Amino acid sequence: MADVLELEGVHTDIGQHHILQGVSLRVRPDAVTVLLGRNGAGKTTTMRTVMGVLPPKRGAVRFEGRAIQGLPPHAIARLGIGYVPEGQGIFATLTVEENLRVAMRAETAECRERMRRVLALFPDLERFRPARAGTLSGGQKQMLAIGRALVNPTRLLLIDEPSKGLAPIVIEHLIAALEAMKRETTVVLVEQNFAMASRLGDDCYVMDDGRTVYAGSMAALAADRNLKQKYLGV
Amino acid sequence: MSAGALTPVQAARAAARRERGRAPTLYLRLAVVLAWVLLPAAGPSFQVLDLAVKIALFGALAASYDVVLGYTGIVSFGHAMFFGFGAYAVALAVGRLGAPTYGHLLLGFLAGIAVSAVVAAAVGAFSLRVKALFFAMITLAFAEFALILAVQWGALTGGEDGLSPKLPGVFAAGAPGALGLSGRLVTYYTLLAMCLGLFLLMSRFVHSPLGRTLQAIRDNELRAEALGYRTFVFQLVATSFGSVVATVLGGGYVMWVRYVNPESALGIPIMLDVLLMVIIGGIGTLHGGVVGAAILLTARTLLPNLRGLGGSLFAGSEILQRLSERWLLYFGILFVLVVFFFPRGVLGTLREAAARRRGPAAPGT
Amino acid sequence: MRRVLPLAVGAALLLLLPLGAIEPRAWLTLTVAGLAMGMLIFLVASGLTLIFGLMDVLNFAHGALFSWGAYAGFTVAVAINGRWGWAASPSIWLNAGLLLLAVAAAVAVAFTLGVALERVIVRPVYGQHLFQILITLGATIVLEELIRVAWGPNDQVMPVPATFQGSWDVADVVVLRFPAIAIGLGLLVYGSMQWVLTRTRVGLIVRAGVENREMVQVMGHDIHRYFTAVFAAGSGLAGLGGLMWGMFSQSIRPSMGGEQLIFALIVVIIGGLGSVTGSLVGALLVGLAYNYVAYLVPKAAIGVTMGIMVLVLLVRPTGLYGAGK
Repeated sequence: MADVLELEGVHTDIGQHHILQGVSLRVRPDAVTVLLGRNGAGKTTTMRTVMGVLPPKRGAVRFEGRAIQGLPPHAIARLGIGYVPEGQGIFATLTVEENLRVAMRAETAECRERMRRVLALFPDLERFRPARAGTLSGGQKQMLAIGRALVNPTRLLLIDEPSKGLAPIVIEHLIAALEAMKRETTVVLVEQNFAMASRLGDDCYVMDDGRTVYAGSMAALAADRNLKQKYLGV
Repeated sequence: MSAGALTPVQAARAAARRERGRAPTLYLRLAVVLAWVLLPAAGPSFQVLDLAVKIALFGALAASYDVVLGYTGIVSFGHAMFFGFGAYAVALAVGRLGAPTYGHLLLGFLAGIAVSAVVAAAVGAFSLRVKALFFAMITLAFAEFALILAVQWGALTGGEDGLSPKLPGVFAAGAPGALGLSGRLVTYYTLLAMCLGLFLLMSRFVHSPLGRTLQAIRDNELRAEALGYRTFVFQLVATSFGSVVATVLGGGYVMWVRYVNPESALGIPIMLDVLLMVIIGGIGTLHGGVVGAAILLTARTLLPNLRGLGGSLFAGSEILQRLSERWLLYFGILFVLVVFFFPRGVLGTLREAAARRRGPAAPGT
Repeated sequence: MRRVLPLAVGAALLLLLPLGAIEPRAWLTLTVAGLAMGMLIFLVASGLTLIFGLMDVLNFAHGALFSWGAYAGFTVAVAINGRWGWAASPSIWLNAGLLLLAVAAAVAVAFTLGVALERVIVRPVYGQHLFQILITLGATIVLEELIRVAWGPNDQVMPVPATFQGSWDVADVVVLRFPAIAIGLGLLVYGSMQWVLTRTRVGLIVRAGVENREMVQVMGHDIHRYFTAVFAAGSGLAGLGGLMWGMFSQSIRPSMGGEQLIFALIVVIIGGLGSVTGSLVGALLVGLAYNYVAYLVPKAAIGVTMGIMVLVLLVRPTGLYGAGK
């Protein structure tokens, strides 16, 4: 089966800083690919490059075989790529329902049906539907962020550090939600929480200093203590 | 650390100092200063002399604005206000305290500096904490407020009519004797020395470790903060410094023009002028301010001659006549074009071209 | 509820305190005048705050659009009045017709100029604050000078429809007519804006964009189209404000935009970037305070406006309704 997402030798600068220095990775369909690495390795920059928020200086980004580098973010989103950024990007002054509605690419019957399913999946969101999203707890905000990504038919979902700042019990719920989604769509997950990553991930890439330094299956990495120590300090 | 070897930072600074000594532009700069000094000897008209002084004053003023805008990265619309403070302070001290003396003159300058320092610190402390856009708007509001205050507080400031102070001693009467300098020439050289002194001060400020920290903050505030620099304090110091320099220049301006009123010293026109000078000359180059001042002021003295031309050419059509008269229109168009196509200004573009020709810098220089 | 209570208290204080120093009938006239002035500033400030909030653009050209709106409306009003005498006529229908046509001209011209400005001048310098400021400043100078070229540099008298001049006598109280109309118009505009912002999809996206531009883009919305829409709408509003201000003061001059822009900026700061309600509250506050103080201590009027701004910033650095960015 063709790769859903492919990065080939991607270099990205932020201002004068050469952050990504040759990132190459391939994402299999219907699997969860995890992006691991220390702080500052370039994981978030990679996600943002894929989303078109940062234009790559060199290299190619291909979605389902089609080159997307250089396209504006909204065009990339409309190809069927959903993005849950670090920090969730919740609109605090909008209500929960408005957050979900604004996330829809268009308010079609299909999207509204998906919204109903999201609210069924996350009962907290249903409860706080008319409330301002800024009043939600950290875990609820994360659910909302993921819910927003689900109101559109999505072929690729990019999620950046969803467990950050969440209590362990909430992380459990998060993992359950992500496992449910895993079956429907391809997921690329950036995660520092190795335990969570190893439970969800099928394939994994480790990044360091703006480069991909390890590629393989999640299971293999989890089993190899030396590799874990070398790249993740775990 | 052994006694003989230099640390990498010291080595870099020594290398920079050597390079500055050898830079070709150093001789160019010396030549320009010399031209200023020798100008009166060429027996020029008052208009030319006036232009020369104004270029010096406004060049330094633009440079002081560049310190705030180009080197610290803060957009402020209050700069002209501080210029005005200096102008009014000197005018009041010399004009309203009885017969003018040198003491009054000095008092004026010191009072102006004190007021500006306090206001700059207050405005900065109050507004530097807010978003940059807000800061720009707040400084604009304060500047407008100062203008209105100057107009309405007629008892102190002479209202819209302003003040026409007389200068003390040598500045008014001249220094007879060996050199036979008129009052005007004494003022000329004093102001030239002042501008040069202030410019050198600013240059040292910008190249000092403090100045470099400011540039770091300008480029990436978050990173500078992460490195432990209290960016707010640095920004406050930089804006206060720039404002105080502007104040001194304002005092100098009054010494030459011998007249001050709200519109000419405090108003938005001055602010726009200074902004345009820095943009045309090049932001973040310090000398760009002088270049911009020279270009703008020279053009402005030459343009009125063209106005008369327009009036006679288009005597029939009122609209065409107005079109040729309204040089401000072309000013505005020029402004927009410069911002679009030469965002780095004259000096900035030249420096970039030179740097590209030199090639990438070798490590260690 | 928590947000409304301090506001209600503040409003009550603001309105009732001056009664201590001003006798009731004068107070009423001043209040109407203050509210009207506030509404007219609101027209300008509302567009400005949305443009700031959504696009992060410091749009100095807003003042020039205000002036152009006034002059465009003026031209239409003078033409219609000159030809058919609709302003001088005692018929309220003809008067209203003239006003509507003048408004339409003002809004259309300002709107078009706004679209052109956004595309040509503002868009190329997105994200670079300094250049935005410079370019919109340059555009302002050019636009103002063009007014001077086309209409001449002097003040012009704006024809005001006859039935909108003067005042009504309501229970022995003098209520000036035009200010009352301005207030009504302002409320209408505010209501419409709130409706668009809260009940339409476009409004929803704009509100989201004010909070987080990037997020809206990665959700698949072309934020630049919304930028143009907001910029144009704000420009149209500025034009409307200009025309109404021209009728309010019965004269127009090329620099009128720049003068009002300062008030509008202060109001935007007080109200908070990106909040339409904030700019309404701020504008009414400024309008009322200015009128009360101008009656009691004329020279302190402008100072009071600045004072309010400083006070608000000390308490809430992002403005009363600021999004806390």
